[in-house]
Amino acid sequence: MSDTLVEQAAPDARSVSSPFVACFLAWLLPGLGHFYLGKKVRAAMFFAVVLVMFTLGVASDGAASLIEQRQPLTFLATFDNLAAGPMDLISRYLTFGSIVYVLPGEEGDPRRAELVERLRSRVRSVTYEYGNTFLLTAGLMNILLILDAFDIATGRKD
Amino acid sequence: MIRSHFLNLLVFSALVAVFFAFLTQNDPKDRVRVILILGGSMVVLSLIIAYVMYPFPLR
Repeated sequence: MSDTLVEQAAPDARSVSSPFVACFLAWLLPGLGHFYLGKKVRAAMFFAVVLVMFTLGVASDGAASLIEQRQPLTFLATFDNLAAGPMDLISRYLTFGSIVYVLPGEEGDPRRAELVERLRSRVRSVTYEYGNTFLLTAGLMNILLILDAFDIATGRKD
Repeated sequence: MIRSHFLNLLVFSALVAVFFAFLTQNDPKDRVRVILILGGSMVVLSLIIAYVMYPFPLR
């Protein structure tokens, strides 16, 4: 059976679906928002693709980002990491040994020195750039999935 | 992990192409078309850019 036929059941499911629940589920686990909306084939593919992308990122020594006040782009990178949902906790823990989002601002802070050293150990890895690209792309993909789930739930898209 | 730049390019292109094919198309044939065009374009354009950049930095 083609997946188009499978997804034809979606409009009925969509009519009783909340856009905000769909968005939350999409954030919680890649593809879960689409599964909730009855798009099961798409949900499975999105889950697989984002999971593979994220796993390659972690396995290639990609690092979760930390917010640093003096570097505005770190806000965007951290937001992008957060968009991957709870999966971000895994990469964050593997990178820093704890769940941390902000780099302490004072230079002499021993916690800051520890976090920077953990980050540097990742940056020294040959595959760090690949891993970071995979991790950030997984987050960006999940942002698109959240928006797509919202559009489907509100009837703007099939 | 994967250390080959080219292999990383192939894997990344394939994943992105599949993702956008399923995000933008409903018909399986259209999805295959998008995967081939988008994935192929990413690989070919990357190789062209790499070839053009090869002489740099000029000494």
